[in-house]
Amino acid sequence: MLSPYGLDIIESCLTCKVRSERIFCDLPTSALESFEAIKYATAYPKGAILFVEGQAPRGIFVLCKGRVKLSICATDGKTLILKIAEPGEVLGLSATVSGKPYELTAETIDPCQVNFVKREDFLRFLKEHSDACFKVAEQLSEKYNNACHEVRSLGLSHSAGEKLAKLLLEWSSRNGEAAKQEPRLKLALTHEEIAQMIGTSRETVTRLFADLKKRQIIQAKGSTLVVRNKVALKTMATNG
Amino acid sequence: MESAKKQSCLDCVLRPDRLFCDLPTAVLQALDTMKEPLSCPRNTILFREGQAARGVFILCEGRAKLSVCSESGKRLILRIAVPGEVLGMSAALTGSDYEVTAELLDNAQLVLVKRKNLLQFLRDHREACLHVVTLLSQDLHVAYDRVRSVGLGRSRKQRTAHA
Repeated sequence: MLSPYGLDIIESCLTCKVRSERIFCDLPTSALESFEAIKYATAYPKGAILFVEGQAPRGIFVLCKGRVKLSICATDGKTLILKIAEPGEVLGLSATVSGKPYELTAETIDPCQVNFVKREDFLRFLKEHSDACFKVAEQLSEKYNNACHEVRSLGLSHSAGEKLAKLLLEWSSRNGEAAKQEPRLKLALTHEEIAQMIGTSRETVTRLFADLKKRQIIQAKGSTLVVRNKVALKTMATNG
Repeated sequence: MESAKKQSCLDCVLRPDRLFCDLPTAVLQALDTMKEPLSCPRNTILFREGQAARGVFILCEGRAKLSVCSESGKRLILRIAVPGEVLGMSAALTGSDYEVTAELLDNAQLVLVKRKNLLQFLRDHREACLHVVTLLSQDLHVAYDRVRSVGLGRSRKQRTAHA
């Protein structure tokens, strides 16, 4: 089925071809059949808010296609982007399990397909399917590891330069680029959003990028960034 | 770390007050067979950040400091764990390295459950797995609050108080 946002919607989890590659979705047939009965397959345009920090948890959102920005916000409007969630992730898990308000705000940055499951249905599903329960524990563990990593990066990095270098190294180690001498990465975020990821201002990010280009550590080709000097970037990430 | 006298979790009077430990009798009996009780003095490091996860530590008595460290040795305390908490769960489940360092603040009584046994235990006992999911959700809430306080300067509680 083609949605209004140009997405090829996967109607049934049972026929999903990428299911086996995704931690939560790779469930036995009986659990998947139960999941099919409680999920709502929905499509969202870019810029849609799935849930807001502080809102009572309605349920979980399994991200099938597209990416979602997860952020926290201060009352003065200062925003910190924690993560860009990729397909296969389950969003709103900890709040749905604990019954506490959503800890983060989730906003789509691409047109997305999301499978929504209501809180009461999801809790019953977990009680009935131990395989799913185990996979949820694994997902929560990964999220916890990620949160610890974030605290370390925000609290112990000396400078914005160090944080940006770490972020670029992390991004450039994905998609099989890690082993390459000059890895490439697609910049999906604006300077403003990158600033929100490392807890600094947009101006600082722009200045740091200009400096990295001037020193020929990175090279920009449209929205693609080539790391020309990985050693220098690693030194920056370690020493600030 | 010294081995301690094996006491059954079934005899523990504090069990109903502790989220992970409040399990049905059959599940506790299974836990009893695989646990290794330990008695550790204050300042013992239970595990270090970056070390391969060998299992979880259930804190029966005493407190532990959980911290992260930078390459330069600068340390940031994430939180203080209290009796009843299970330490090292996320690393043990994912098979990754411990993401924090856990150091005892008091002389403590603990229970170690090795990773291999833990995974089997959780697969065999749905109730225990549900408790772990709840525990991890709570840990995650605390971790996000720490991210908020470190990254944005204020905790949500403080923000609510200011509003």
